[in-house]
Amino acid sequence: MTEMNEDVVVIGGGAAGLAAAIRAKETGAESVLVLDRDSELGGILPQCVHTGFGLHYFKENLTGPEYIARFVDRARALGVESKLDTMVLRLKPEKEIVAANSLDGLLTIRAKSVVLAMGCRERTRGALSIPGERPAGVFTAGTAQRLMDIEGFMPGKRVVVLGSGDVGLIVARRFAVEGAKVEAVIEILPYPGGLARNIIQCLEDFSIPLLLSHTVTAVHGAERVSGVSVAGVDEKGNLIAGTESMIPCDTLILSVGLIPENELSEEAGIILDPSTGGPVVDQHMETSIRGIFACGNAVHVHDLVDHVTETGIVAGSSAAKFALGELEPLKNRVRLRPGSGVRYVVPQVISGYQPATVYLRVRNPVRNATIRAGDITFPLRAARPAETVTLEFTEKRNEKLRGKAELEISLEEKGHVD
Amino acid sequence: MTEKTERTITCIVCPMGCEATVSMEGKKIVKVEGLACSRGEEYVVREIDAPMRDFFSTVIIEGGVVPVCPVRSTKPIPRNRIMDCSRDLARLKIAAPVRMGDTIVHNVLGLGVDLVATRNVEARSEKRR
Repeated sequence: MTEMNEDVVVIGGGAAGLAAAIRAKETGAESVLVLDRDSELGGILPQCVHTGFGLHYFKENLTGPEYIARFVDRARALGVESKLDTMVLRLKPEKEIVAANSLDGLLTIRAKSVVLAMGCRERTRGALSIPGERPAGVFTAGTAQRLMDIEGFMPGKRVVVLGSGDVGLIVARRFAVEGAKVEAVIEILPYPGGLARNIIQCLEDFSIPLLLSHTVTAVHGAERVSGVSVAGVDEKGNLIAGTESMIPCDTLILSVGLIPENELSEEAGIILDPSTGGPVVDQHMETSIRGIFACGNAVHVHDLVDHVTETGIVAGSSAAKFALGELEPLKNRVRLRPGSGVRYVVPQVISGYQPATVYLRVRNPVRNATIRAGDITFPLRAARPAETVTLEFTEKRNEKLRGKAELEISLEEKGHVD
Repeated sequence: MTEKTERTITCIVCPMGCEATVSMEGKKIVKVEGLACSRGEEYVVREIDAPMRDFFSTVIIEGGVVPVCPVRSTKPIPRNRIMDCSRDLARLKIAAPVRMGDTIVHNVLGLGVDLVATRNVEARSEKRR
C-alpha cells in the first residue's frame, strides 16, 4: 500500500477541480494533488465540442476542449500533481482518502484539506422506469456525446431525444449536423428546459420538432430500437388517454436530469441538502466537516461552466488557507432557506458580513418579479428554472442581516416597482 | 407590388426572451415591435437579414490516440451553410498529431473562415507501456 501526505487533495479533475487546484497552489498550498478516474483531465469538457464556454470568465467564446485546456495547462505550469485512472474508494471525515489504480495499487492519502469536485451524473432509463422492450439504441445524452466526439462512433441515424434541457438540445444538434434525422425532442413540462438560445440554434435551425407536455411511454424493438411511443401529459403529469402515438426511430437519447455525485460525501458523513443533492456549503464552500470543501456540479447542477469555475476558485482558495492554518471562520452564520417560488439557494450559509455571491434557482418561469431576502429585495426582470439567478450580498446589503441566524429567500411575483 | 408579411422571432440577447413581431415588405424590414431594448433590435435584424452561427464538428484522425478531433470555425458562418460545411469536413482524414489551433480546412467553402482543431490529439505510439 502506497501512503502519501498532501496539503490539498482535489477529488475530480474537471472544470471545478482544476480551478480549485490552481487557486490552491496560487494561494500558497505546497502540494496539491488531483485525483480522477478518467484517463485525461478535463471532466466532461473534452466532449463538449460546441461553443459558448468562457463568455463570462474569459470574455471569449470558446469550445469545451479549448476552455478546459487553459486550466490543464495552467495546472501543469504551477506544478499541480495528478493521478489519473484513479478511483477514490473512500473519504474519511479525518481527511484521509483511500484510492486505487493499477500502478500504485491501493493508495492512502492524508490531506490537510480536501476539495470535493466529483461533478454530476446523468439520470438513466432505469431511474425513469420507461416500460417496453430492452433493445440496443438507448443512450444517455452524455454517452452519445462521448461516442460521437471522442470515440468517433455515430450512435444512430433516426433519433428521438427525451428531455429538453441544454444537454439534450445540444446533442440533438450534434446528431443533426452529423447527418442524422432527429425526429423530435420530447419534454414532459409545458415549457422547454434549456436556454432560449439553444431552442433556436439547436432545434429551430434544424427544423427539429419540440413536443411539450409529452413523454415517452414505451420503447419498442427486438434487438435495436425500432420506435418509441409518446403521449401527452396533463398539468399534473398524468398521461392523457387517446394521445398516444408511435415515432419510428433507431435511437432514444435520454437527457432527463443530472444528479450531483456524492456517494463519497455521504459516506464521510457530510450533510447534504435534499433540494440540491449536494453538500450544504458556506460562502467559503466549506461543507459540514471542517477542512472539506466542495465546488462545481457536486454542489448543485450549474448551467454555465463559468460559474463552476468560480466556485472552484473559492473552494481552492479556502482549502489552501485551511491547510496553511489561515482560514478565518465566518463572523456569523446565516442559514439561507428557499422560500416560495425558489427551488434552492447555494451557498446555504453566509456570514452576513463578508460579501457573498449566492446562486438560486426559481421553480417556474417568471417575469418582472422581486426576490425577497428578509429586508433585502432584488429586482428580477426575468428568470427561468434553466438559468440560475445570481444575488450579490454586498457589505451594504449585509448590514440588514445583523443578528439573523436564518434568512428565507422567496419570490414575489407582484408588487415589484421598477 | 411587394408582399407584406409578419414574422415572430424570440430574442436571445438576454434572459427576458422578448417576442419580436417583425413586419416585412418583401425582403425589407419595415417595423420591429415587442422588444425591450435596442440590442434586441440589432439581433432581430441580423437574424432576418443574415443569420450567422458558429460551426463545430469533428474530423477523422488517422494514427491518433483518439479517432476524431473536434474542430470549430474561426468566425461564424451563414446558418444555411452549416450542413455544407459538415459534408465538406466529413470527407477529410487528418494524420496525427494535431495541435489545438491547427488549421484543418483553410477558407472552408470559400466563406473566408477556417476550420481549426480545438484540442491536441497525440500520435498513437506503437510501443505502448
